[in-house]
Amino acid sequence: MTVLTGRGLTKTYQLEEQTVHALRGVDVDVAPGDYVAIVGPSGCGKSTLLQLLGGIDTPSAGSVELLDTRLDTLDDRALTRLRLTKLGFVFQRFHLLPVLSAAENVELPMAEAGVVPAERRRRAQELLEYVGLGARSRHRATQLSGGEMQRVAIARALANKPAVILADEPTGELDAATGREILNLFRRLNGEGTTLVVVTHDDRLAAEAGRVIRMLDGRIEG
Amino acid sequence: MELRWGVRNLRRHPFRTALSIAGIAVASAMLLDMVMLRGGLEASFADLLLVRGYQIRVTPKGTLPLDSEATLPDATGLVATIRRDPGVASVAPLVATSIYGRRVAGPDSVVTLFGYGIDPRDQGLYQLLRGADLAPDDSAGVLLSDASAAALGAGIGDTVTLLGVLDPQMAAPAMERRLVVRGVVQWLYDYRDQPSVGTIVPLMQRLARTEQEDRVSVLLVKARSDAEVEPVVDRLRAQLGGAEVNGVADLVRHFQDRMVYFRQLATILGSVSLLVTVLLIGTLLTITVNERLGEIATLRAIGVSRASVVKEVLVEGTALTVVGCALGVALGLVTARYLDEILTSFPGLPATFSFFVPRTPNVVTAILVTLLTGALAGLYPAWLAARAPIAPTLRAEAT
Repeated sequence: MTVLTGRGLTKTYQLEEQTVHALRGVDVDVAPGDYVAIVGPSGCGKSTLLQLLGGIDTPSAGSVELLDTRLDTLDDRALTRLRLTKLGFVFQRFHLLPVLSAAENVELPMAEAGVVPAERRRRAQELLEYVGLGARSRHRATQLSGGEMQRVAIARALANKPAVILADEPTGELDAATGREILNLFRRLNGEGTTLVVVTHDDRLAAEAGRVIRMLDGRIEG
Repeated sequence: MELRWGVRNLRRHPFRTALSIAGIAVASAMLLDMVMLRGGLEASFADLLLVRGYQIRVTPKGTLPLDSEATLPDATGLVATIRRDPGVASVAPLVATSIYGRRVAGPDSVVTLFGYGIDPRDQGLYQLLRGADLAPDDSAGVLLSDASAAALGAGIGDTVTLLGVLDPQMAAPAMERRLVVRGVVQWLYDYRDQPSVGTIVPLMQRLARTEQEDRVSVLLVKARSDAEVEPVVDRLRAQLGGAEVNGVADLVRHFQDRMVYFRQLATILGSVSLLVTVLLIGTLLTITVNERLGEIATLRAIGVSRASVVKEVLVEGTALTVVGCALGVALGLVTARYLDEILTSFPGLPATFSFFVPRTPNVVTAILVTLLTGALAGLYPAWLAARAPIAPTLRAEAT
């Protein structure tokens, strides 16, 4: 049984005259509760694979299935809704809204999903406490450190209780100590049953994962 | 959530936002002034014509009231004919002519005056400010305005000398009359500082040398309160074939024809102000959206819909417009007063006339048009934001 499946995933870009093959027929299966790390050198197609699995980008060939739904059968509205409710995203550069507080950033996906204000405030506070930022919920994103911002981003990713969390270089912008905090948080999340797919250069993060997918030149190695 | 997000986004760049709001305020002030000018001219003109309740004007054929020196003969007969109409409540004859007066105080000199011949029982031309009105047969009294009182150096109770029109044979005034100043009035159709004086009709006719043919310049007609004005106008037209009969609506129409340049100017300047609003809001939001493409792509990635992104951008545009518009209304009302003072000081315009009339419908129209324009101006940047490709934008952000 899988929660997320990629079959024959191919992605080519046209850069002026040149065709770039970012992915060349990649197959991926993610089971519920998996902790998968995707590793490989820069430009090997890791982030592209994550974007295809997350329905952020469309493959040139192949298909992605999330919870038995083929993403290529969905229109933009349905795909957006699926990303909102079934997937959680964590980015290297956090991408919080700087004008909103930590709590409001966490509330945002819930507001979009139509959760009533009282419930989303309660859950946002709960999630911020879970990531260790309960006392900083009213602080603007710009008033937080890098590690704190990434923890808020993780809380935001968890807001709508997603089936899978997709993280793209979540420790890439953090120093070693702060990166370790994120690492611990991911370990705890996975220990409680959260499915994680993480693209990383960080060996420590990869070592924590239950399964490592090594990529090179748009293909899975070995 | 979009409201909070949108409004706080505007606070990210307070100086830029303040500049845009100032621009929108100026543009909406201009729009409000132009809307007031466009409708205000007609409204003010109609108010002026109706200020004493006379809804109909009878003038020489082919002329408008006090538009030329042409006069109507046999005023007494005309008044009697008009009064016989069952819809007519009263008729006010009016003689208007250039005459002269001798200064009471100071060096002996002659000043040019504007003379009105009025029937104090039925008059639609003045309001008494001080002193007493003329009696219907007061052939020894005269009414002055503040301007003519100053020109003649006279006050209430003084005796002034009026000189009639010049006799071309003798090159001298045909008539000279000494009259006692009974009161000071405001002549409703006078331009600023116009030195006008008023006597009963027969006396002014003698000063104007038109008493033989009993000539008057205009007859002002008031319809009965229970009578429709238009049928009265139609009946009088049929009866007074040799005269021009116009209701207030007809006169406003004539006025509109003459003031078409003002209306065109108001339309052009109003359109320019709307265009400025569109450009200001459109440019600011496009810059803002382009700066935040990465943020918008992230939001789209985490499942925020295009509709929510569009809503947020439109909220920003609307917030800018609401604040700019509120300031613009205040600014527009202040500038309208100032501009009105300048324009009404033009010679030949009644001082009581207004170019900019701040009526509620005008203000509401200007506000609604500005708000709608502001919202529409946000559509292009909102479309840009909603169409931002997620994956390429995130890739570009990561590099």
